[in-house]
Amino acid sequence: MLNRQRPGALGEDGGTRPLYLVAVVLERTMISKIGAVMRRNLRELWQYRGLLWALTTRELRARYRASVLGFLWTFLNPSLNMVVYVLVFGVLMASPVERYPFFLFCGLLPWIFFSSSVVGGTTSVSDRRDLLTKVRFPAQVLPATVVLTNLINFLLSLPLLFLLGTLYQDLPTWHIVFLPIVLVVQTAFTLGLTYSLSALNVAFRDLQHIVANLVQMLFFLTPVLWNLDSVGDVSRFGLDLSAQQARDLLLFCNPMAAVMAAWRDIFYLHQTPAWEPLGAVALLSLALFWVSSGVFERRREEFAELV
Amino acid sequence: MNLTPTEMAIVLEGVGKTFKKSSRRKDSSTLKTEFIRILLRRRKVVEPTWVIEALSEVNLSIPRAKTIGIIGRNGSGKSTLLKLMTGIYSPSKGSIRVNGRISALLELGAGFHPEFTGRENIFINGIILGMSRAELTDRVEDIIRFAELGDFIDEPVRTYSSGMFMRLAFAVATHVDPDILIIDEILSVGDEHFQHKSSAKMKEFRDGGRTIVLVTHDLGTVESWCDLAAWIDGGRVRMMGDPKEVVREYRRAVSSAEAQASGQSPLSSPGLALPELAPAPPMPVTLSSVRLRNGHEEGSPSAFSSSGRLHVLLDYVARETSASAFAVEIRSADGGLLFGTSLTAETPAGQGTATLELPRLSLGEGAYEVLARLAPRDHRETAPLRASLVVAATADVASGPVRPEHRWSVSSRAVAPEASVVAGAVDPGVEP
Repeated sequence: MLNRQRPGALGEDGGTRPLYLVAVVLERTMISKIGAVMRRNLRELWQYRGLLWALTTRELRARYRASVLGFLWTFLNPSLNMVVYVLVFGVLMASPVERYPFFLFCGLLPWIFFSSSVVGGTTSVSDRRDLLTKVRFPAQVLPATVVLTNLINFLLSLPLLFLLGTLYQDLPTWHIVFLPIVLVVQTAFTLGLTYSLSALNVAFRDLQHIVANLVQMLFFLTPVLWNLDSVGDVSRFGLDLSAQQARDLLLFCNPMAAVMAAWRDIFYLHQTPAWEPLGAVALLSLALFWVSSGVFERRREEFAELV
Repeated sequence: MNLTPTEMAIVLEGVGKTFKKSSRRKDSSTLKTEFIRILLRRRKVVEPTWVIEALSEVNLSIPRAKTIGIIGRNGSGKSTLLKLMTGIYSPSKGSIRVNGRISALLELGAGFHPEFTGRENIFINGIILGMSRAELTDRVEDIIRFAELGDFIDEPVRTYSSGMFMRLAFAVATHVDPDILIIDEILSVGDEHFQHKSSAKMKEFRDGGRTIVLVTHDLGTVESWCDLAAWIDGGRVRMMGDPKEVVREYRRAVSSAEAQASGQSPLSSPGLALPELAPAPPMPVTLSSVRLRNGHEEGSPSAFSSSGRLHVLLDYVARETSASAFAVEIRSADGGLLFGTSLTAETPAGQGTATLELPRLSLGEGAYEVLARLAPRDHRETAPLRASLVVAATADVASGPVRPEHRWSVSSRAVAPEASVVAGAVDPGVEP
């Protein structure tokens, strides 16, 4: 899929100067190398799936171990979270959105999956000194464990969403077949982001605090609490944009906005998700994963020394 | 050693390892400078004063099925070497080749979770150490039995005593069944009984043809246990070879450093190499061999009798006439001292033999080791010569490592007055 020829071989042909330059840039930026790195990254993850699974089940079971309600917290945590937001935005600020609690829940559950993965994943490598300095294993298992743990938690909390839908007499329609696609896109995006952040946080511990705050900011910039359609005229802030342009800007600049919109389409609006923004996120995720594997690979030799 | 590369378990060629000093890293690299550096695609400039050279030019070949002891001062680079072998660190220079599945006991209980039961932790820890779920299912009962935790195995690990915790961790780690076992100072786990068990387990590993790399400060273990020893000093392999020789040179260097030490001692700065030594002067007397006899047979018998004689013959060569100290020790299979004796005598120049006679061996059945030493008087202890001593089983009812001459008698005064009965005088295993 990539030009693997040496740039020198191309340079002998005088008429291909632009091509030569492209090849040099590819070579210099090591894109071909990163491609191989990405495949190796995933292969190692597969080889160590036993470890990945053991660590994931450990996290899942440890999470509510020794608590009285135990597994029920999987449902209670997002529910209580929702109650707070419904109280503020649904009751006190009287959101015009119909069936607001259900609307909110459709976005809140996937958002919790994303935010817990990114915030937890950022420190996943830097916090595991005990493992990294004592045992040899591919370090990408650690961020992958965090993402997988939160993914499973998300899947386990889905019945709660359906239960709430039933209360609003809003049962899932055939559009639920799109769920796996959206799930894969969001997981790939989350994993790619988490790889880079976890690798960089080993050397730059400031990142974990920056990330926690950025995720918080992104939460309010992502249509979780509010409806994208409610974005109105922004010209009074000096922005020369129509309402539609403002929505598109939000949708295409914030990958999570597109993913959230897709979840809403499936569960709340019962329509086929818009392909363009979702496809853009899918491509972005692939690119991010690609680059992140490279970042991770280049840094992982120093993990054991720096944690 | 003229072994082909395939007979080597681990080969290190020109291996060097440098670490960046974290005190300098702070001002040399931040998120911003890194980002700019990546944008400009500049190579990271590493100034030599910012790095610590933990190891340099290490060439080490560890043969298959051998036990190698790695000794050296604190901070000399031993643990770094182990982490390079296991692949936790990658070398800054040189290459490392490993043939076989490697298991490292660098720290016990990696990934143990206090809220989980012992049994659950066996699975998590085992998988972290590289076992598959199927292997673990096969071995979990062995592990539980070895750890001797009883009903506690189904209790959360946080309720364990530290000894129980270590026993469980050790049990899992030693059941990984690797080709190459790397151990960093963890043999001293648990109480006396468990230590015997763990050294028996190590013996099982060694006899099973596994390669063992052992880092320890217990020089006695290196001498008695290892086939080879490597002395790491100041990040280099200072000496490699016969454990006794290496340990002797190491001891000499340490005591010479201690002798020179007055205030600014080289020993007070960790990692610093020990001073170079002049080659040891040739010993005026050396032990050439130690032989065991039973007093009536030519040659060494395969087994000795509890009640029979033991003669220990120490053959020596003396370069000059001097006063020498002979010493003989009998040790149990796990190294415990059972009996020791010594004699200082004049040894005229030439060859000779000193003989220690035990008219009655008085040891229980089993395998023992006889250690013989010879040193000029006022000289430090030298490495011993060893001979194995096997004591045959006897028919009597007696147990324990010692069999002193003994006799039972029962006397009764209750019914029949003046009737004293000698019942069953036993002298075990009387010589035919």
